[in-house]
Amino acid sequence: MMRLPGSSDTRGALAVLGAPVGVLLLLFVVPFAVLVQMSVLKFPPSTASGYSLEHYWSVVTDHLNLKIALTTFVIVSIAMAVMLLIALPLAYFMVFKAGKRELFLLLALVIVDELAPVVRVYAWQVVLGRNGLLNWILPGPPIDWLLYSPFAVVIALVTSYITYTTIPIYAAMKAIEPVTLEAATDLGAGWFQQFWRVLVPLAAPGIFVAAILVYIPMYADFVAADLVGGPSTYLLGQRIRDVILEQGDWGAGSAMNLLMLGLSGIFALLAYRLSRLNRMET
Amino acid sequence: MWRVFLLTVGAILFGPLLILLVFSFNDSNVLALPFEGISLRWYRIALSDPSLHRALLNSTIIAAIVAPLCLILGTLAAFGLTRFRFRGRAAVAGLVAAPLILPWLVVGIAALMAYAKADITLGLPTVIATQAACTFPLVTAIVGAQLFRFERVQEEAAIDLGCNRIQVLRFVVLPHIAPALAAAGIFAFTWSFNNYEISAFTIGFQQTFPVWVYSSVRDPDHTAVVNAVSALISAAQLLLIWGGLKLIKRRSSNEAATAMITGATHVASTK
Repeated sequence: MMRLPGSSDTRGALAVLGAPVGVLLLLFVVPFAVLVQMSVLKFPPSTASGYSLEHYWSVVTDHLNLKIALTTFVIVSIAMAVMLLIALPLAYFMVFKAGKRELFLLLALVIVDELAPVVRVYAWQVVLGRNGLLNWILPGPPIDWLLYSPFAVVIALVTSYITYTTIPIYAAMKAIEPVTLEAATDLGAGWFQQFWRVLVPLAAPGIFVAAILVYIPMYADFVAADLVGGPSTYLLGQRIRDVILEQGDWGAGSAMNLLMLGLSGIFALLAYRLSRLNRMET
Repeated sequence: MWRVFLLTVGAILFGPLLILLVFSFNDSNVLALPFEGISLRWYRIALSDPSLHRALLNSTIIAAIVAPLCLILGTLAAFGLTRFRFRGRAAVAGLVAAPLILPWLVVGIAALMAYAKADITLGLPTVIATQAACTFPLVTAIVGAQLFRFERVQEEAAIDLGCNRIQVLRFVVLPHIAPALAAAGIFAFTWSFNNYEISAFTIGFQQTFPVWVYSSVRDPDHTAVVNAVSALISAAQLLLIWGGLKLIKRRSSNEAATAMITGATHVASTK
């Protein structure tokens, strides 16, 4: 605590935090409030039309929306599972095995995330396309389902979000004493038991953070589906964007936005509870 | 075993970009193998495209204004949150973390609606305003983590020795957080330069670089040009970020650099 003569903490905090908090209120909280308002206005953006919840009702009773939500849930969950399968061993390697290469791997992960996401997703077209690299390498007739397919969307999502999945898990594992794992070995635990009963429970806080940082934003991702997806992978993010920009339906669009946020928040919370359960068992 | 795993992960992450780079020298306007000869044709066409010039310039202008704004706002917030105890601190910390969690799509649409409601014409200023508000929390996370690690005793010692508040900041705090500030500046710049969602919703009729890529890849005649430019920009970004982080690493210890990067994501998400 910085103790300065003649200054109370609250006044000092106000002086320092005034600008950033003001900016957030004006440019983040107010727009969000506008979004909420639009979702409950009868005929947005007119405030004279009165308030109603009919947009929410029409969104959840629309069969197409439910289908799109289900597709999104499946694709996003598969991508999350694949990322965890990569991130857990990768984080483990970085913390316990990498030695001098640890910082290099960390930098590589951070740097790949700093390259333009649109370009990174688009690059998969060159690899997975009908005349792309994979089809050129693989023998036989060209495989059509590589690009513009759920497969391509999952791969694009995984490569877009892997950094934010790995680093929180890495940070959580960093706090684990190597002795813990040695003890497990001494007590006769095999590598899978060590992984499942010791490493995963201890890394659970990191997994939860990854779920928040990655799982929720993925529900709103439309770049991957736009660039490498097809008609079978029309996702929630695309739907919301199209409803607002192309159909101009602000009421339904903002209601969908808020429903999506709510649902993905609940899923993240569930993931958190599951990770806690795992820990209590052990 | 580990080697195979790491190589696979590396290939998945960096492979497509490398291939993009290789294809950009292919003398054919379809994205296809085999190679039809090496040429710089696409680079020449790309570099003479006025819409691309405009888009690159726009992205650079936006990022060059957003990054310093974020550094100021983000550092102020980090300082306020780590050095003062006051009522409502948890609420402020939550508010600052919120833009990092909320999807860009939601932020972009909310901003679009708010600007429309307030009758503000969309353009570069609206992109800059929304991006700055939603990117500075990243700086807060990175700098906050560093301030948190920093021994406050040193600040108190400086005050006991007669420094005033400005002097403490200038001579004690600033040198210590300089590497974090540099890293945060690089991240804020690239986040802003690469951002598609917020820019697309709040820029109106202009284009930024990601928006240009987006609209160009749907045009089959354009793909070879997009390849070339994307490869070029990615390579430039890679060099800049790598160089920047290397420089920072030299100024601080290995351990501090690792802690800074992990701390950043950690603080960003748990506070």
